[in-house]
Amino acid sequence: MTRVTIPIGPQHPALKEPASLSVTLEGERIVDFDLRLGYNHRGIEKEAENRTYLQDIYMIERVCGICSHSHATCYIQAVEEVAQLEVPKRALFIRTIVAELERIHSHFLWLGVAGHEIGFDTLFMYSWRDRETVMDLLAAITGNRVNYGINTIGGVRRDIKPEEYPPIIAALNTLEERVRYYITLALEEVTLIKRLSGVGTLTREEVISLGIVGPTARASGVTRDVRHDDPYAAYSEVTFNVISDDHCDVYGRAIVRLKEALESCSIIRQCLDKMPEGPITIKAPRKIPVGEAISRYEAPRGEDVHYVRGNGTEKPERVKVRAPTLANLQGVKTMLRNYNLADVSIVLAAIDPCFSCTDRTVAVLDASGSCREIMDMQALRDWSIAEYQRRGVDFAELNARA
Amino acid sequence: MQKEEQIQQAITTRFPALAATTRVVRIRRISVDTGLADFIAVLDFLCAEQQIVMLCAITGLDEGEMLSAIYHLAREDGIVVNLKLIVPKEQPVIPTITERFSVAALYERELVDLFGFIVEGLPNGNRYPLPDGWPEGVFPLRKDFTAEEAAKLPPAQ
Amino acid sequence: MTLREQIITWARVKSPWILHMNSGACNACDIEILAALAPRFDIERFGIQLKGTPRHADVLICSGAVTRQISDRLRRIYDQMPEPKFVVAVGSCACSGGVFRGCYNTFQGINEIIPVSVYIPGCPARPEALIDGVVKLLTSLLPADETIDSDMIEIIDSAENMVSDVEMAST
Repeated sequence: MTRVTIPIGPQHPALKEPASLSVTLEGERIVDFDLRLGYNHRGIEKEAENRTYLQDIYMIERVCGICSHSHATCYIQAVEEVAQLEVPKRALFIRTIVAELERIHSHFLWLGVAGHEIGFDTLFMYSWRDRETVMDLLAAITGNRVNYGINTIGGVRRDIKPEEYPPIIAALNTLEERVRYYITLALEEVTLIKRLSGVGTLTREEVISLGIVGPTARASGVTRDVRHDDPYAAYSEVTFNVISDDHCDVYGRAIVRLKEALESCSIIRQCLDKMPEGPITIKAPRKIPVGEAISRYEAPRGEDVHYVRGNGTEKPERVKVRAPTLANLQGVKTMLRNYNLADVSIVLAAIDPCFSCTDRTVAVLDASGSCREIMDMQALRDWSIAEYQRRGVDFAELNARA
Repeated sequence: MQKEEQIQQAITTRFPALAATTRVVRIRRISVDTGLADFIAVLDFLCAEQQIVMLCAITGLDEGEMLSAIYHLAREDGIVVNLKLIVPKEQPVIPTITERFSVAALYERELVDLFGFIVEGLPNGNRYPLPDGWPEGVFPLRKDFTAEEAAKLPPAQ
Repeated sequence: MTLREQIITWARVKSPWILHMNSGACNACDIEILAALAPRFDIERFGIQLKGTPRHADVLICSGAVTRQISDRLRRIYDQMPEPKFVVAVGSCACSGGVFRGCYNTFQGINEIIPVSVYIPGCPARPEALIDGVVKLLTSLLPADETIDSDMIEIIDSAENMVSDVEMAST
């Protein structure tokens, strides 16, 4: 059977972000998969060296809008370690509360996007409606629905006063009820189970050898969670379960994310109960001393790693961001092997890709798969124009009509 | 800090030349600096005998005369060993570690594109993260790529 | 305006089909665009529908500071849309480069690549701001003295006149 390579992206209804996938098919089966990234590469790491540490918080937050608090907190933790700052406990608890709220919002977002990818738009509408509860809560606590800006070097910028606890608890009650509804849906709705089961399988051994992180790894039984292994913020003061599942496929990832949303609600309640008194920030120096630190954070998509190096001035020497999706993208090729074209979007969605966290040619195969010519965009365009002219299409007439 | 000190002890016993550059920075963080000669040996030792399970990231650094790459290696219990490989800028040739960690391919491509490392044995693939048409020999994350250099890049069509 | 032009304008204003393009954004504006389609804000009640291909779209809703890699594709997507077409730049990055102004791999806003009709600032632009921007765009398409509802009455009047003319002619 001839092999056909289909380009998907960078603009494509299934991809909310630009990336160029080349899927090689034999009929409906995927035999090869190639990914061209870099559409979201903005040059943040370089620009971070030209701005002060405080200005960098706002730029690093916007590495990704969905996990903005993850990136900001991970970066701040590294800076605070280089500067040897003792962050007040109250600030750590507030950071944890916002972090878990972000996890809930991200998992609801994922649920909706996954539903949309498999054609279940009702699930998209339901879960995004419920997500608005979390957005309202975040807006009440931090002032913005997305890109919260609650971190500063040495603590947080806003306090959560005791008067604000009751609305948070009420919202958590609603959220827990909704998550339980979705878990029931996932366990009982036959079409959903059949559509998601057996798709995008990754065995436990593959997860470990490919270095997969986050819910994608935990759905294959690998209990890798930075909150538990390398605790930061207030995670050593609260108790929570690391959710894992044995399905090893997209269905397992859905279950893991939903149950994690429940755990997040429990963590937030514990944080509100145990909230210590005290200041919310400590004065930080403008010039961060020479030193380096690596900070790890469990973002909703997996392990986020930031490296910061200070050189004694008010601007960093080096900031490095490694987002979770970069670690998981290598696994997509393994996951897609021998599956159908229709599964590409849901398997890609199942790692919950965030190409803007990640980034910073058409290969032409002939029928036998042997001759390979790499064309860049201009060459391909010229080739296709020549091909149509050979078939007798007159471009001058078409252009005159336009 | 017992586990961290044990790891430090094990490394310095096996590689006495690296004793000066192996240190426990804080709980769950160990740093080791090495040159090209010992790099693969140390990496294999850590993977085989010190229970390294994951490569978290590779950070490139421009340190004037030298270019370095820090390999952040993690264990199950959360301890991270930062293995820093230092090579001269005139000859930034490093070996690939994709046989040990397949995820390293993308990280090494980043080093090639942004710093100008030459990674021997890196499998073929699309460049990452710079766009097609990026000028040859221009490495954005090196310190000599300043705003003036950036202004020389082609403008929007 | 002839009746034909009136109907076409009315259809265009009452049911703009949009194409969403992310030109290297952080996703915050994109999720606010999707949130605008979700039940709380629900722009679908204005007849706005999200399409998958530029060939079907009237309005290109674009977010993000344009990265070098995607600038060529953005131009091509814009060229593939049929006339008349409008571009809405959502978010500070799309308007002027936003927080990424000065980065080596981004341009200073999408108006360096394609012409923009409406700028919606914000980081990210709230769904309410998005709705406001789209309504402003649609209102600008109508003749100066009309609002979005008065045009409907005019069209019905014209159509009724036309029908009664035809009836009288046939009797």
